[in-house]
Amino acid sequence: MSSIIEIQDLTKRYGNLLALDHLTLQVEEGAVVGFIGPNGAGKTTTMRILTTLLQPTSGQAWVGGYEVTREPDRVRQIIGYMPDFFGVYDGMMVWEYLDFFAACYGIAPQVRQGMIGDLLDLVDLGHKRDSFVDELSRGMKQRLCLARTLTHDPQILILDEPASGLDPRARIEMRELLRELKQMGKTIFFSSHILSEVADICTSIAILEAGRLVAYGDMAEMKKQLRAHRLIEVRVLGELAPLQAFLLGVSEVATVLAAPDVDLPPDTLRFDFSGDDVALSQLLSRMVAAQIPVVSYSEVTGDLEDVFLHATQGIVS
Amino acid sequence: MAEVVEEQPRRRNRFLSGLLQNPVTVKELRSRMRGRRAFVVLTVYLTLMGLFITILYGLYSRAALQTYGPDPAQAGKAVYGAVLGVQVMLVVLLGPAFTAAAISGEKERQTYDLLRTTLLPARALVTGKLISALSYVFLLILAALPLQSIAFLLGGVSVVELVVSVLLVLVSAVAFALLGLFFSSLMRSTLGAVVVTFAGSLFLTIGMPAIVLVLLPFTSALFSSGPVQPWVQIALSYGGLSLASTNLPATIILSEVILIEEDALFFWSTTLGGRSVVLFSPWWVYTILYILLSLLLFWLTVRRVSRVPNR
Repeated sequence: MSSIIEIQDLTKRYGNLLALDHLTLQVEEGAVVGFIGPNGAGKTTTMRILTTLLQPTSGQAWVGGYEVTREPDRVRQIIGYMPDFFGVYDGMMVWEYLDFFAACYGIAPQVRQGMIGDLLDLVDLGHKRDSFVDELSRGMKQRLCLARTLTHDPQILILDEPASGLDPRARIEMRELLRELKQMGKTIFFSSHILSEVADICTSIAILEAGRLVAYGDMAEMKKQLRAHRLIEVRVLGELAPLQAFLLGVSEVATVLAAPDVDLPPDTLRFDFSGDDVALSQLLSRMVAAQIPVVSYSEVTGDLEDVFLHATQGIVS
Repeated sequence: MAEVVEEQPRRRNRFLSGLLQNPVTVKELRSRMRGRRAFVVLTVYLTLMGLFITILYGLYSRAALQTYGPDPAQAGKAVYGAVLGVQVMLVVLLGPAFTAAAISGEKERQTYDLLRTTLLPARALVTGKLISALSYVFLLILAALPLQSIAFLLGGVSVVELVVSVLLVLVSAVAFALLGLFFSSLMRSTLGAVVVTFAGSLFLTIGMPAIVLVLLPFTSALFSSGPVQPWVQIALSYGGLSLASTNLPATIILSEVILIEEDALFFWSTTLGGRSVVLFSPWWVYTILYILLSLLLFWLTVRRVSRVPNR
């Protein structure tokens, strides 16, 4: 697969503030990349540079092979951008809103009529066609804005916090919509604060902190990379003491965690294990051979929150 | 040859349809003309204008009944002058008021970024905003034409006067609207853009005559202190006319006076300090100056809109 977005040494300064610090990143065609980081990490700045709305201080960025500062019109042709905060026009109907933006992309009037209906159906706003945009709910406005980004059928969608400020139902609807767009083959580059949402639909994640990329890669790989040890949870019948004593003698075990130090039931403990799957299986056999009454033995898979907390240090939030 | 004849109207049509199909023009006009506001403003404007002209006409009619009272031609001139005065106020105040909020309003409403990421060229955005603002101002001017035409029933206004005044109003409308658009593109807040635009408009229409009034005693003193060199008289005449050519009310009044007194549309000859000199009527100098100003403002606004910001 080829890179559809390429960022090379991108730096942005606002006076003394360094918003982006030599950011280098590649996004492959068809990928869904979750761009996460604390507030002020530089996510919006990156997106504004990619969408030709901001000049970088140094470095370069290419979207679809076009350099963003040299060929902005080519870039605009292939991207659909949804900012984190956006307004709507007063006294304008939903279909007029889409018609206006489609006209701004140079789409012929005869094509626009059919296309508006399709887009409204896609974002489930067909019944609101003749409503005024300023009377729509926040979730509907977000969906309408997403429909707007699709008027010229762009290859790449750059969405800045598409689910911010939405209630749970609207958030689920937005997530479903993004999933549908992913199936349509769009490359989606979006920022979010809601990590569970990112984990749900992303193929890869990029974590930004204080303008620097602190982690980037495939979701599963990222989890592995950022956790050197595997966390294993064991439940036994009766006392934990024999198991604790046994684990202290195992070289691959780093730390053993049990109540009351951590929030676990009295018959369960967790330990950090540095071995591979074979070593993990052999450890279970040794436990059984040592007559430890094991009831359950499983690996605790870290979620995106763990990855995020491991990668960031809370510098800017 | 036939091809050329066919090509010309097609090109003109394409230009006109391009202007009318400009998405920004369509959107703005649709929003502006939707609802009652636009029609209420138009009705109130015409009612007030009608009342004003009726009162003016009534006063002149009563005066005309008296011995040595004004003739109908004077009443016609008064009516025409009154409507022209209102038109001047419209183009100086209303046009810039619409355009001063045009681009800064998009920034405040957070729709500017959405527009800037489309393929709409900066030139089309500026043209669309300009045409939509001017079309409403022109609608108000055109709607007052039946009232203005009363002047022709009474007489006293020539076709040349009409053409010159319409030309001056149209050129000023474009220039003042572009002044508002330029400041709107320059500033982030609409309030700031409106304040600066009105300051600029008022300086061009009221500020200039005020400066002249302040300087007038000095020139009077110069003339009363003794005989003045011919070249000083010529320089003062040209300077005065040039200064007047930058101001709309002064240009209208002076051009009218020169047309009536000197029967001159473009140039006239006079004797200053014993020398024969050719002086000019301000209206055409004003027209050229304001067309150049409009082109400059349009270029600067397009440049400003197409610029990718650093912040």
